[in-house]
Amino acid sequence: MQDKAASGTLAPEEPVLDIQHLTVHYVLEEETVEAVNDISIRLEKGRILGLVGETGAGKTSTALAALNLIPDPPGVIRSGSVKVCGRDMLRMSQQELEQIRGRDVSMIFQDPMTSLNPVFTVGEQIAESIRLHTDCTASEAMERAGDMLELVGIPRERAGEYPHQFSGGMKQRVVIAIALACSPKVLLADEPTTALDVTIQAQVLDMMIALKEKLDTAMIFITHDLGVVAEICDEVAVMYAGRVIERGTLDDVFNHTKHPYTEGLFNSLPDIQDRTAALRPIPGLMPDPTRLPKGCAFAPRCPYASPACIETVQTERAFSETHTVMCSAYEDPAFHIRREEV
Amino acid sequence: MADNILEVRDLKKYFKTPRGQLHAVDGVSFSIQRGQTLGIVGESGCGKSTTGRCVLRLIEPTSGQVLFDGEDLLSLSSREMRRRRCDLQIIFQDPFSSLDPRNTVMQTIAEGVRMRGKYKTRAQVEGRVLELMETVGLAERLVNSYPHELDGGRRQRIGIARALAVEPKLIVCDEPVSALDVSIQAQILNLLKDLQRQLGLTYIFITHDLAVVNHISDEIMVMYLGQVVEKAPSEELFRAPSHPYTKALLSAIPIPKVGGERKRRILLKGEVSSPIEPGDECRFAKRCAYAGQVCREGCPGLRELSAGHVAACHKLGADGEMVP
Repeated sequence: MQDKAASGTLAPEEPVLDIQHLTVHYVLEEETVEAVNDISIRLEKGRILGLVGETGAGKTSTALAALNLIPDPPGVIRSGSVKVCGRDMLRMSQQELEQIRGRDVSMIFQDPMTSLNPVFTVGEQIAESIRLHTDCTASEAMERAGDMLELVGIPRERAGEYPHQFSGGMKQRVVIAIALACSPKVLLADEPTTALDVTIQAQVLDMMIALKEKLDTAMIFITHDLGVVAEICDEVAVMYAGRVIERGTLDDVFNHTKHPYTEGLFNSLPDIQDRTAALRPIPGLMPDPTRLPKGCAFAPRCPYASPACIETVQTERAFSETHTVMCSAYEDPAFHIRREEV
Repeated sequence: MADNILEVRDLKKYFKTPRGQLHAVDGVSFSIQRGQTLGIVGESGCGKSTTGRCVLRLIEPTSGQVLFDGEDLLSLSSREMRRRRCDLQIIFQDPFSSLDPRNTVMQTIAEGVRMRGKYKTRAQVEGRVLELMETVGLAERLVNSYPHELDGGRRQRIGIARALAVEPKLIVCDEPVSALDVSIQAQILNLLKDLQRQLGLTYIFITHDLAVVNHISDEIMVMYLGQVVEKAPSEELFRAPSHPYTKALLSAIPIPKVGGERKRRILLKGEVSSPIEPGDECRFAKRCAYAGQVCREGCPGLRELSAGHVAACHKLGADGEMVP
């Protein structure tokens, strides 16, 4: 079996996904939603990056832009580049995009109930993805679809069944099988376990870790659940109002938290090991993405904010090779947040 | 003698389906002390929401008793029940679909205030609405806003104010924070706890989020396929879970901590079986690592392990350890 087109070749240290200065806006009649503002993300082979943030932080827009799937209109990619295996997704023809999507980079959506076609069997849907990207006969594709089903823990005999015959967790496995059918280098997973019950979520997460180890796929794992991040990711990027405000390894972000917003997120979570600990929510609400403050977007809710934070845009500051934070409070060398280092 | 505000006895709700009876709630019994919070947890389809709704008779139970302050709610006529509902309220999961889009905040809350009948004149009612808005932390300027103008957290506050308007004694909270972001979720959980302290409310707190239920509940009841499999004081349940399902459920919670010792996860085999005509075997047996002959022969009943801690499992020894 041979791929129809050679996929991009890579030097070993080059990232499989390299997003630089990406800005995505949604231009509406009366206002402009500034969803993603100058984001840069690098992802190396076989690594899992957790993209964390609340509703409206710009997580999904970032992932859609990485596939050049932003609905246009109203979406506009204002600037930036998205290199998958060295080739820029944003400067490709439709035909090139169709080749690369599903082969080098795939996406899994949150809701497994709506991302499958109800009138085709799951086997046909997996085989379709394989036939699009490889030269193989229909029966070979079905054979491989069966292999993929087994890989995600579904007996291959069920290839002839329709999506409605599967439970939610099983459907999400099918969606994962489709996404991984051509062994992509990069997988974008948008809240893949959010719609599942915890015991099923545990099964799916375990399976995803095993698959990553087997296929060496790099993943961006979008979630709002810091617990899931701790279970599955190698690195974390925390988003707020369209910017990555803190990034680093799991240890950097969880045990040496620097950004006040990240601290606020941790303080808002009930501690399952200490039920009497008080919740300290972040006061106020996310800023309106059509009217972002001109300085730091978190400043209005930030307990440490100074007048300078409200006026000036923060710049990225590196604490170590892996750990960077966007917060101007660190201009003052004595500044530290209250969360204790573990 | 414990001061139980609510006692539910052998509650059953069966739905008719073309393939037979669906046992949504199958013989659930529990009681709650006044001023306490009972958490009901379980996964999709375990019957936790149906149980909550049956208590309020929003769904008519098939059989059983619901004793509220000693009076069986199921024996009341629909008119009497309507009056009684001032004592029992519900807060729904989705603040987007549970508010009438054509009513302002004032109209939504005022409806409940009038229902109680304590405030007669328009000025009194409006004064009370403003008081309630302050209680739940809604700014007065929002009084004429419509739900679509507000975010999820504020909408959930309206839902809470509406429930409080009739001055209830017991509130069923059906996944009240599941649709909210964590920072807003924490604001609402703190509000619910404050209100309980101030007003002496009793809560039934239904959720699938175990960290949340642990934080807010005094006692926790774990349900599986329409039945109670374990019930214990929260601390006890998390410290010493006994039923194999509870153990697996607790071990599956992702913990937002890095480093230190990671707990071992118990992965369950397969998925929840069908609640239609479930038959007379332990409903968890197919997924249970300990299941034996006895589990396939009969459904286990709840047994007391220690004061206030009950579990339903054939394989559970007297000392709380599993018998192979």
